[in-house]
Amino acid sequence: MSYLNNPAIVMDNGTGLTKLGFAGNDSPSWIFPTAIATAQSSNAKSSANAPQGLGNAKAGVSNPATSNPYFGNSTSATSFASNSNAFLLSNNLAGKRGTEDLDFYIGNEALVASQGPAYSLSYPIRHGQVENWDHMERFWENSIFKYLRAEPEDHFFLLTEPPLNPPENREQVAEIFFESFNCAGLYIAVQAVLALAASWTSAQVTDRSLTGTVIDSGDGVTHVIPVAEGYVVGSAIKNIPIAGRDITLFIQSLLRERGEADSSLKTAERIKQEYCYVCPDIVKEFNKFDRQPEKFAQFIIENQDKTTKKVIDIGYERFLAPEIFFNPEIASSDFLTPLPTVVDQTIQACPIDVRKGLYNNIVLSGGSTMFKDFSRRLQRDVKSIVSNRIAQNEALTGTKSTGVDVQVISHRKQRNAVWFGGSLLAQTAEFKGYCHTKKDYEEHGPEIVRNFSLFNMV
Amino acid sequence: MSQSLRPYLNAVRYSLEAALTLRNFSSQEVERHNRPEVEVPNTSAELLLQPMHVSRNENEQVLIESSVNSVRVSIKVKQADEIEQILVHKFTRFLEQRAEAFQILRREPIQDFSISFLITNKHTETLKTDKLIDFIIEFMEEVDKEISEMKLFLNARARFVAEAYLGEFVY
Amino acid sequence: MLHLKSHNLLIQKTLSEAIEANSNGTPLTLDRIVSDFDYTIFHISNQEGNKTILLLSIKTKAWVSIQKIDANNGLLPYLQSKYQPFAGISVSQSAEPGYDFTLVLDLASLTNESVVESSLLKTAILSFPFQLAFQESFELSKLPAPEDGSSIDSQKLYNIQNRDDEQFFIKASNDRVTVIFETIFQDETDKILGKVFLQEFVDARKRNRSIQSAPQVLVSNEPPLELQSFTSSRNPQNDASRRFITFVLFPRHFQTAELQHMSISQLTLFRNYFHYHIKCSKAYMHSRMRYRVDSFVKVLNRAKLDEDKDGLENDNQSTRRTITGRKMVY
Repeated sequence: MSYLNNPAIVMDNGTGLTKLGFAGNDSPSWIFPTAIATAQSSNAKSSANAPQGLGNAKAGVSNPATSNPYFGNSTSATSFASNSNAFLLSNNLAGKRGTEDLDFYIGNEALVASQGPAYSLSYPIRHGQVENWDHMERFWENSIFKYLRAEPEDHFFLLTEPPLNPPENREQVAEIFFESFNCAGLYIAVQAVLALAASWTSAQVTDRSLTGTVIDSGDGVTHVIPVAEGYVVGSAIKNIPIAGRDITLFIQSLLRERGEADSSLKTAERIKQEYCYVCPDIVKEFNKFDRQPEKFAQFIIENQDKTTKKVIDIGYERFLAPEIFFNPEIASSDFLTPLPTVVDQTIQACPIDVRKGLYNNIVLSGGSTMFKDFSRRLQRDVKSIVSNRIAQNEALTGTKSTGVDVQVISHRKQRNAVWFGGSLLAQTAEFKGYCHTKKDYEEHGPEIVRNFSLFNMV
Repeated sequence: MSQSLRPYLNAVRYSLEAALTLRNFSSQEVERHNRPEVEVPNTSAELLLQPMHVSRNENEQVLIESSVNSVRVSIKVKQADEIEQILVHKFTRFLEQRAEAFQILRREPIQDFSISFLITNKHTETLKTDKLIDFIIEFMEEVDKEISEMKLFLNARARFVAEAYLGEFVY
Repeated sequence: MLHLKSHNLLIQKTLSEAIEANSNGTPLTLDRIVSDFDYTIFHISNQEGNKTILLLSIKTKAWVSIQKIDANNGLLPYLQSKYQPFAGISVSQSAEPGYDFTLVLDLASLTNESVVESSLLKTAILSFPFQLAFQESFELSKLPAPEDGSSIDSQKLYNIQNRDDEQFFIKASNDRVTVIFETIFQDETDKILGKVFLQEFVDARKRNRSIQSAPQVLVSNEPPLELQSFTSSRNPQNDASRRFITFVLFPRHFQTAELQHMSISQLTLFRNYFHYHIKCSKAYMHSRMRYRVDSFVKVLNRAKLDEDKDGLENDNQSTRRTITGRKMVY
């Protein structure tokens, strides 16, 4: 069968961003917000769960011959032709014969469309889990046919899910992919496991094990997820309410305090991405800045025609902003545990026989872990917590410890680590053997996706 | 509503009312088990009652099998052509997939029927029996309606899609 | 989205990004796979040692059969002449290994127009047999029409194998060009939905006056007469779901180059359009069914005894929660 030659499709639908692409590529083909703009029914706002236009469809079908103004026989030929042409050419199908379900946009187009009055924006994924299946199904439909241009029959799919996703949600995914789309085969992987797999490309990694602690920091929240031999230790997962958005807001507040010329969120975001780094010690870094004024940077915004310039000074926020991971008290008043401590607590909550592996393989994933020297600082801090504990223990018991290696792994694909890990796994020859195929689904039903065999760790 | 539908539904309603008199009953064969007697192979005939078969026509039938502590209601939904067949199949499968939410839905229909419910004494104790019957009657009405609506939708959509495609050739 | 677009959005995006990066002085390193319908894979990569030149290679199922159509090997010259006028595009004489055809794109001189044309590469390849047929039809139409009003048919039947078990045929006549799609459905549901859709394609033109000028559509289970010469060689595994869809294009559909392009890009997407909409209908039915499930559950919940009596027990049964206490959504 020649679909075997087609590349598998890797889809990572996150709360904020969706990454789509083909296995074997080094980066996702599309990255856009997991947003969908649906046509607003003009007469009555149906509840979020009701399919829009259901009522409309009912009215339409009860009387199909007379209720469609464009295809009846009563209108004169000329006006009719012009009408229907205009209608067929425009994408605005709203209100016409229950075709509202085709009238929607996803991703960036959705953001644009929602600025008009005809569309309303919604995010089908909340906290990593799909909340609105109707929207999600259409989101996927558009992703596949418009953005990836693939016939689902001809491709295998690798999808991702958050840790602790209930198996019923998986069944729903399978139902959609096999019944609506007839996809050739499906594999659903846990995001944290894929992030671990992505770290195999790093030079620091010698053995390809699926044991490790994943620190996944996106825009909204940071997760610390321990994975032992490919399985997530669910009870030990910890969340930190500090992530990319908080850093951006912190920079913005500093800019505002100083009264810079521009303190928009967008500017703060660019400063975060281009200038921020993690320092080994704040006090020393403050001194360094005072001694070497060239450390202060300037960020210049030009408007579109390059006529006016705004100059924004960037000062201590270069190292202070990412510092909120390590000293949360400088930005937040309710969450005060530094990231290294949370990592240590997470690993300590895991079974004792996997802890060494977890300390040894701390993997970073997500855009907010991209700061320069983030991994070095984290490694140092976790190490000091661990060695303190060991020293204490040795003093108390008098026995010599064999020592614990702490290693934080940073690699080039960190930003889209989950997607990249999926791409790596899905391009292997064995991948298709791990998938459940359409035939399996028809034989066993949706519950087949409750189990997927793990990838070989060779 | 067509003429013969009302009597048909009424017949189902009264039969159900008669059948839904259940009581707790421990298994006579397995110690400390309490199982729906209608579902298990039964050697003691006194536990099972004569099944009731309500039939409107060949395509629309209801089978009510009752026992001392459980009733199994199986519905055959009207399927006039292969489109309706596939729609009924899809729809009932979709419901069965979510059987957890419908406490009384059986995950598999019994043979020759589209969908089955299993009501045990546990259910009649926690749910109001008359409302339960209302649900089954409403279900029967709505399923027929939904299937024909979906069929009409499909035709309307097919027509729309075909016209839109051919419309592209009109220059 | 109602219509599928004939150009590949992803190629367009990738090339535009590459051009922008190149003009900023930081050319991208690219080695990407991009897919398209019907077993088509594109590969976008840098030319060895020169990041400002991109190679766009295509591998498509239909290539082999299209190449066979013309005995004079006219396909390559055809594509060459097609891409000649566009800035920054040249045709590579030897395709990249593993691919059928390669375009060489010079990022420095690519224009927006050439980007669009490159993203239409698949359509361009598929248009070759159509162009031959249109040409033939023009030539045949110059012959004197037979007295009895019958048409002169070309002896040639172009056969394009665009999928493993599906193909389409093109045949020219003096007053029309006939395009016949052979299609099968693997999925049981699709088979039946497909039947409904195809029937509407046949009826649409009769019913709706505004699209009277669209091509005539016929659907049959048996191979139409045009294919009789061909059927013998087909594999005998005659699937019951095999259908033949015939589009009859009249000269008004291919009078000018622009009309030709529009007709071709519509026709080459016919199968994809058709399957896409079957999937959309299934998705819509899913959302209807979800709505129904909700409303049924509501009716059933009315039967519940008062919460305070044994509310706890009921609660456990009706709403299930994840370990973190979130409700499951059906």
